[in-house]
Amino acid sequence: MTRTEILDELKKVISPYTTNKEQLANIDEQTDLIKDLKINSANLVDIIIDAEAKYDIEIDYDSADKMVNVGTCIDVISEKINQKA
Amino acid sequence: MISAGNDIVSLAAIDVTRTNQHKFYSKILSDSEIPLYNEFSLAQIPFENFVWLLWSIKESVYKFLQRGNPNLLFTPVKFVITNLHLPADYSVPAFNQLAIENARFKGIRAIKSTITFADNTLFARSVFFNEFIHTVANSVNDFENILWGVKKIDTDDSNIQSVEVRSFLLERVKNIYGDGFRVEKNESGCPVLFGTGKDFPIPVSLSHHGRFVGYSLYKQTLII
Repeated sequence: MTRTEILDELKKVISPYTTNKEQLANIDEQTDLIKDLKINSANLVDIIIDAEAKYDIEIDYDSADKMVNVGTCIDVISEKINQKA
Repeated sequence: MISAGNDIVSLAAIDVTRTNQHKFYSKILSDSEIPLYNEFSLAQIPFENFVWLLWSIKESVYKFLQRGNPNLLFTPVKFVITNLHLPADYSVPAFNQLAIENARFKGIRAIKSTITFADNTLFARSVFFNEFIHTVANSVNDFENILWGVKKIDTDDSNIQSVEVRSFLLERVKNIYGDGFRVEKNESGCPVLFGTGKDFPIPVSLSHHGRFVGYSLYKQTLII
């Protein structure tokens, strides 16, 4: 998958956890999940588990803690997809 | 170290089914923490609430440490709770009020905990009502100078939560120390309290989840 394809899917994963839909539609790799999208930190585990299910990957602790903005989320998902291939 | 760290969990906002799934709680709890549930089970506290209590403790400690280390990342399983003390004959009280404010946890049956993270040992106090769990962390096992509060608000809109928690804190500060204080973010993005004149930024911690907002601060730093 390309980074753009992962980004498009990632929007769907994040969507249930943000009320800031306008910002979500315009996210880029620098968008911070908590500061920009106002996602409550209590939902970060939900996003990791939903991403695991969507891409059929497993995200370990050390990778999960890097997922603070959209770019690092794509980095981790892309890395795990490539490891699976 | 003078810092502040608090966290709140609205129990109406948690996903009970998901929390009880191993794939979920294993991202929050380490294996050594699972046996800590025994005491809570005897007190009829559901496992999902135990998981979110530990989340609340870990996040408050993370926020406390992150102020001094802005690049610190939050990996819940790396914050290990080594001691968790539930008061004897504990039953979870109903929260039949709009707000609670307290100093030192005076008159509160708080849950006491000890947490390790890398070379750090920290301490926390949690209040556990039927509607929420609120935790305050400190680097020493002394909460004499800690002020904290929790308020129920009308909405879970994140923009309004942010406004509500600031006005709740500033009202408390005004009642104790007078007018002229304001909340700003420091260069690391952590909230600080500024007064008028010669004082310096005072660390405060703000939290919100669902329809609850909370704060904590270290009182002694206000005596300038």
